[in-house]
Amino acid sequence: MPARLRRASLPYLLLLPGLGWLVLFFAIPLVYMALESLKTGTIDTGFRLTWEFSNYTNALKNYDKQFLRSFEYAGLSTILALLIGYPLAYVIATRGGRYRNALLLAVIVPFFVTYLIRTLSWETILSDSGIVVNTLRTLGIVSEDGRLLDTTVSVVAGITYNYLPFMILPLYASLERIDNRLLEAGYDLYGRRRDVFLRVTLPLSMPGVVAGTLLTFIPAAGDFINAELLGTPNQFMIGNVIQSRYLEVADYPTAAALSFLLMAFMLVIVLIWARIAGTEALLGTEGERG
Amino acid sequence: MHDDFDRQLERLLRNPLTRRRILQRGAAGALSASALAYLAACGTDEPAGGGDKASEEKAIAKGKIADSLYFANWPLYIDEKRTSLKKFQDKYGAKVKYVEEVNDNTEFFGKVRQQYAQGNSGGRDIHVVTDWMAARMIRLGYVQKFDKSSMPNANQNLIARLKSPPFDPKREFSMPWQSGLTGIIYRKDKVKREPKSVDDLFDPAYKGKVTMLTEMRDTVGIVAASMGADPEKASVDEFMKAIDKIQEGSDSGQIRGFTGNEYIKDITKGDSWVIIGWSGDAVQLQADNPDIQFVLPETKGHLWTDNMQIPVGAPQAYTAEKFIDFVYQPEIEADIAAYVNYICPVDGVKEVLVKRDKSLAENQLIFPDEAFLEDTFIFRGLKPDEERQLDDAFQRVIGA
Repeated sequence: MPARLRRASLPYLLLLPGLGWLVLFFAIPLVYMALESLKTGTIDTGFRLTWEFSNYTNALKNYDKQFLRSFEYAGLSTILALLIGYPLAYVIATRGGRYRNALLLAVIVPFFVTYLIRTLSWETILSDSGIVVNTLRTLGIVSEDGRLLDTTVSVVAGITYNYLPFMILPLYASLERIDNRLLEAGYDLYGRRRDVFLRVTLPLSMPGVVAGTLLTFIPAAGDFINAELLGTPNQFMIGNVIQSRYLEVADYPTAAALSFLLMAFMLVIVLIWARIAGTEALLGTEGERG
Repeated sequence: MHDDFDRQLERLLRNPLTRRRILQRGAAGALSASALAYLAACGTDEPAGGGDKASEEKAIAKGKIADSLYFANWPLYIDEKRTSLKKFQDKYGAKVKYVEEVNDNTEFFGKVRQQYAQGNSGGRDIHVVTDWMAARMIRLGYVQKFDKSSMPNANQNLIARLKSPPFDPKREFSMPWQSGLTGIIYRKDKVKREPKSVDDLFDPAYKGKVTMLTEMRDTVGIVAASMGADPEKASVDEFMKAIDKIQEGSDSGQIRGFTGNEYIKDITKGDSWVIIGWSGDAVQLQADNPDIQFVLPETKGHLWTDNMQIPVGAPQAYTAEKFIDFVYQPEIEADIAAYVNYICPVDGVKEVLVKRDKSLAENQLIFPDEAFLEDTFIFRGLKPDEERQLDDAFQRVIGA
């Protein structure tokens, strides 16, 4: 191969491992799944590709409740995570001082323990005779025979908790990057703390907000472990349905169709959110907006 | 990795263990399992197997004992030292490769379906699956017919109640590994009185303290029986009525949820009081907490069996047959029964165990007498479309 050609093709060669990985583990399975979603049949007789598009309409009709619930829970959790995560990230970034790294570590440390164990611990924490419920009962917040575990509250709390670090870390990254001189300029112009926050800090941290909300919302909408462990069938989300269709009923076409529907809805929601929040924030390019 | 982690986790959470506790682990395993099931599912479009092929097939030919044997079983379903496997090796020279790879019937089916359909057992010589899956394996012609003349111990020592299940009346394609009962487990310290019938599960006093099993045949069978149906021959409509009743209970909040083995921690903590559960768990839970009791409902409990089968294409079918026969010797089976705590399907084990551990040998839940087993039903074999219909309806009730 001539040297010039080799130089020209080098970038493409460097792309190969990543590209290969994507094709093998993303593109091909995606095509398989797309075909799977258009099949008919049973596990006994095997599945046949019949271009059965009604799989999609049936899936949507049968599981509209779980779809809505997924986005409702994911949305709630994302908002809660933002409300909890922003002040935390702000304090770490601006007041952390020499404890900054230790504080960040504290945010990440729970991740050293696996997801399942963390969720299982919540089951114990929220148990009917556990300390949380007993305290709330004494305070009269939860009725005498009321409970927290296996309710919507516990599922949303579990999701919020599990994805909180995904919110905090991008928020921290964008808050930490803010040039202090800009804030000083704000004060020099007689801005009150609130004004400086709303007009300087917040807009500059938007990339973090957008990244954080997406990183929280997307996995949360597809989550099924929290609903399974901390909820009842009345809290089950679309992830639970897909899991059950695949593994319990062995109804692969419906499961595949549901997966595609979930992806499609997610894409639409992300696009709308990107519109609202601004693409420049999504792409991480700052400024421009007042 | 997931499976390994699961096992560690379960070990951490409680000890000692039985394998039902691992069953239906849902959560973590499902992540990897769904990928497996998915991969297994895609690719083949041709219909698998065909009709009642198995029954026309010839029985396994006699041969030589091989050097090794591949035995696919559920986790924690044999004594920790695997004494019986060692004894088999000592006697016949065949080393048993014991793989705990069956975590869930449907999942296992998804994993092996393609291979089995092509007459390839994936190296497996024996697998263990529950009645209804055993029935499906037979129906699809995925398993081999035993040569009963090579199996004197099995012929002689299988307990009477399990000799002719509806799906394999002559026990030509399946032999029980362990059996168990599904009934009511309750907390003596929480309930008003002993819950003798399924109606107690629907008592408003226990609202939110009731759980049922995610296994369709366990839950639907027991509820249908309480409504006057006989699950050994009930119609789909009768089962559907039971599903409706369960649905109502779930919607109203009477039933807190549907579980696999996870019910253990709920009832231990007191988050549930009256539940549908498995006998083997009850035996072990009782040892830790005497307030936990097991009772068969007046309207009968469910008797299920996990069966050993030899898949078509098994490299060492004859050795497998010999192994199945081998564990039907009371002295061999005793090691397994003493650890597993489910119903022992082998006659004569009780007599062996009396000498070792009297309380174990006298436990009705491990060595039930004939009269006790009168109060049980074996869920009838379902036709594929019936199975699909009921599975579908039930899955929708339990959440998806």
